[in-house]
Amino acid sequence: MLSRRGLVLSSAAIAAASATPAAASTKELRFRLVEDPEMLWSGQSVSLTVNTVVGTYLVERLVYQGTDGKPQPWLAESWTFSDDAKQITFRLRGGIKFHDGTDCDAAAVKFHFDSILDPARASPVRPIIAALESVDALDPLTVRFNFSRPFAPFMTIVAGGAYGINSPAALQRLGRQYGRRPVGTGPYRFVSWAPGSEIVLERNPTFRQLRADAVNKGAPYADRITLSVIPEEGVAFSALQTRELSAAELQTDTVERLARDRNFRVVVDENAKNLSFLEFAFRPPFDDPRMREAVSLALDRASIVRAAYAGYAVAVRGPMSPGIPGYDEAVAQQFGTGHDPARARAILAELGWTGTGRGPVSKDGREARFALRSYANPVADRALAVIQRNLADIGIQVAITTSDWGSFYPSLLRDGWDMNFMRWTSFDPFVLVQLFRHPGHRRALPRFDGLDEALAGIETTLDPDRRQVFVSEAQKLLLQNRAIVPLMTNHNVTVVQAGLQNYVPDAFNLVKPGDLRMANWA
Amino acid sequence: MGGYIARRILLVIPVVIGILLLTFMVRAVIPTDAVTAMYEGQITDQEAEATTALIRAKFHLDRPWYIQFGYYVRDVARGDLGESVRLRRPVSEEIGYRYLNTLWLTLSALAIGIGIGVPAGIIAAARKDTWMDVTAMTVGLLGISMPAFFFGLLLILVFAVWLQIVPVVPRGGAALLLPALTLGLIEAAPISRLARSGMIEMLRRDHIRAARARGMSEAAVIMRHALPGTLLGILTVVGLQFGQLLGGAFIIEVIFGWRGIGELAVKAIQWRDFALTQAIILVSAGSYVAINLAIDILYVWIDPRVDYTRA
Amino acid sequence: MSAAASLPTSRLAWVLDRLWHNRSARIGGGIIAIILLCAAFAPWIAPHDPMAIDTLRRLEPPSAEHWLGTDEVGRDLASRLIHGTRYFVLICLITTVIAGVIGTVLGLISGAGPLIADAVIMRFVDVLLAFPTILLVLAVIAILGPSLTTAMVAVGIGNIPGYARLVRSAALTIRREEYVEAARALGASELGIIFGTVLPNIVSPLVVYTSYAMPLAALAAAALSFLGLGAQPPAPEWGAMLVNARSFLFTAWWAVAAPGLAIFAAILGLNLLGNALRDVLDPRDA
Repeated sequence: MLSRRGLVLSSAAIAAASATPAAASTKELRFRLVEDPEMLWSGQSVSLTVNTVVGTYLVERLVYQGTDGKPQPWLAESWTFSDDAKQITFRLRGGIKFHDGTDCDAAAVKFHFDSILDPARASPVRPIIAALESVDALDPLTVRFNFSRPFAPFMTIVAGGAYGINSPAALQRLGRQYGRRPVGTGPYRFVSWAPGSEIVLERNPTFRQLRADAVNKGAPYADRITLSVIPEEGVAFSALQTRELSAAELQTDTVERLARDRNFRVVVDENAKNLSFLEFAFRPPFDDPRMREAVSLALDRASIVRAAYAGYAVAVRGPMSPGIPGYDEAVAQQFGTGHDPARARAILAELGWTGTGRGPVSKDGREARFALRSYANPVADRALAVIQRNLADIGIQVAITTSDWGSFYPSLLRDGWDMNFMRWTSFDPFVLVQLFRHPGHRRALPRFDGLDEALAGIETTLDPDRRQVFVSEAQKLLLQNRAIVPLMTNHNVTVVQAGLQNYVPDAFNLVKPGDLRMANWA
Repeated sequence: MGGYIARRILLVIPVVIGILLLTFMVRAVIPTDAVTAMYEGQITDQEAEATTALIRAKFHLDRPWYIQFGYYVRDVARGDLGESVRLRRPVSEEIGYRYLNTLWLTLSALAIGIGIGVPAGIIAAARKDTWMDVTAMTVGLLGISMPAFFFGLLLILVFAVWLQIVPVVPRGGAALLLPALTLGLIEAAPISRLARSGMIEMLRRDHIRAARARGMSEAAVIMRHALPGTLLGILTVVGLQFGQLLGGAFIIEVIFGWRGIGELAVKAIQWRDFALTQAIILVSAGSYVAINLAIDILYVWIDPRVDYTRA
Repeated sequence: MSAAASLPTSRLAWVLDRLWHNRSARIGGGIIAIILLCAAFAPWIAPHDPMAIDTLRRLEPPSAEHWLGTDEVGRDLASRLIHGTRYFVLICLITTVIAGVIGTVLGLISGAGPLIADAVIMRFVDVLLAFPTILLVLAVIAILGPSLTTAMVAVGIGNIPGYARLVRSAALTIRREEYVEAARALGASELGIIFGTVLPNIVSPLVVYTSYAMPLAALAAAALSFLGLGAQPPAPEWGAMLVNARSFLFTAWWAVAAPGLAIFAAILGLNLLGNALRDVLDPRDA
């Protein structure tokens, strides 16, 4: 295979080539896209790729989320809640212009949210903010959001890329073509898009950085940013080595080798907000919480983390990702379980399951053989291999079936499975409501005393301190009832050229491209 | 002959109806729809049912499948392929450039396949049972003996990383190079095999023997007398391959990020985006039927001796 | 090739003799023989449990303990390859049997049966051919749910048209032969003629065609693993192993090379054997 010396030589040759005067005159950065976005239209897609690209470079939001989980001023300089918590009023900053020169004012904000609310457009984003009824522009810099019920997660949701403000003028002019030629207020503006190949962006010369957490308050450093579509992991790896990429998000396995190379730096997003976990259909024998506890005790989370993410993940005991503000570590330690196969076997024995030490245990003539379903993904496969082995060690045999999300997720509404392997990403504790409000997102969850009340509190309590009581209570109840088996939260990993400065992901794992520069730029 | 051609064209009609029926069935029996498939790990499909219902209503996903199919047939008759739930754009826009991409990839790959396969086959035939024959035929097997994605990755490794002939992240026309080469080398194997056997058969024929007896050089015999007949057979097979490949070589398109019909087909099914799926079936099946028809007619025109009663 | 058993004994002996003296048949046959042996005796040959994970020893290079190294969760690659032969053999057989049996029956009815059946079947085959294969396969999987069985069924269905066309044209030629006319004159039923007289005489082209189709079917099944729609984890199926390991091409090449070369060798073996069979059985393709 590839010799190290060959690599160093080749990257040196390319570095020399790009150091020619012509190349040095344009300050360019090149990043990887794992897939081509379906469109570049905030508010009309729920795709992570779409919202990452538009949200990072092209459009700005009313607020962003600080690493403490609190909303921070961005296009809005302040906001107030009405007494009944059904209205939020934002005060915008003046003088912000879209890339096409038009004003980003209250009318533009209203226009954007109206386009999400418009039934004729049927935006896929609409269900996520179902409680939002209407938006009023009270004056050029004041905009009011009206809700049908108090909706606490809104301040987190609205910081996401899908809620970045598009230019109403451009949208009206371009119609359905807007998704191919977006116009926002962000640090970079759209130049061209070769489908499947690359998206070229150029510096927004009039850009003013409004975020307090940014280093560079003025126009961006780099003249041009090119986003290259590189689906294959190995290709992205090589492109970093040949310096065809300034940075690339990589799967954790490939990272290990670059982590040892001083030409690169590894940026780990420790705010990651995903959780992998096991769920139950609550069919016998898993209608018994002790049975579910045995499963939880059997699993060696440290081993799962190593196998699935080469260590770029944390084992989690609580029912929510530690990256989501509101995660309660004290509750997780007190009510969660660790790895204790001996106790798991003891519980099975207490419940009447007996075995010979080889093969599955059995009870009343029924062998402990169960069906485990998962979405198909190489990383999930590896986690499942460990899970299957861990469970076999306590005498529980699981047969694994994996399929794409469109088959897997709906199949859970039908019978025929006992456990499933899920991975869910959310920025707000509201995810607990989405998943675990009776009867649960797959309609299999029994009613647990007090849980729905706690979840209602998470949904409707705007005050952060009062809300936290409900968030902690819900985590506790989920763990006490062994409703799910939490496994891990994985960290997104980006490998950057050592000379790339200020590559710091925010709470939503987005960088501020205006801050990015190479160390050797004048 | 004219009667045969007319009948051959008429036979297209049941095939087109059959394809429509099959499309019909696929849509009716595949569980779940585009809306559920879209909210992967982000939103549960039971919360906010009223608003997901809006999306379903907009794209008629709330109607029974035969009504949806009715809409589809009506729209196609009007020249409208519908709008994609996921892409929020007219399907025809997406299909249009993707079809061209697949066309380019297919043509380049077949050109490479013919360029390598035909000379290899001729040399193997002319030097039958020598080391050249064995080598040509064995090398030909390499391309078709590897999974396409493994072969594609190896080519990236060799050409982009080791030899650095092409950039790892190709731009513009250069992006066609490696996928076309991968597919071309895969196609070269059957073409070389065909060229070899066709040529061997030709070289046995009387008029070739006569030419040799007249003292014509071996090269001239092959080029002037044996090759034209062999090429006709190859063209038939290549034509059929052409028709099939217009359905997209999905693995190669996925590996190299080549935005063709095959890559879209995989996504369309995973997205449960039936407007896209139906359009893909329409254009690829349409191309296949048209090319097949053209080949058949061409064949009669070139070689009217064939018996067409039941063949 | 079980079909060869129905050949007259003397012809079978002649074919085997020719194959024995054919270099590519010996190489290809050797590879296939090794695979069959591994498949039959996998638990006794494999040095380790192919499912035994050890996440502390993932992606270890080849060593005395692990001849081919370990995979991404620390399983012994050599043992997984050896057990994987069973999946390979299974995939080859099932896809071929599905396509071969259905395709042959359709082809026989079409070629030797009533004209109306011919018209209906051939239009059906035309539709299957025109329908983009990948969509056909993905649709079958979306309907039946992904599993190795579904993948094999889907690939098998995709290969029906080839067999049907081949058998039909062979049957059309044979039914005009004198011995078929003779059988008919002696009062044999149409069904009897189709299966008793025509079928045994198309075994040669069937075997030749299978030698083309089988390696392609095995590759198609591997391609489905690429989409996560083939064998289910943690089955040591080569295609799935290759797909799951491919991101390690630059960091742990052995994890990619082992299944990649295994598939390559197996398919090459089938192709070499196929070439030889064609040389022996099909005089036009000498």
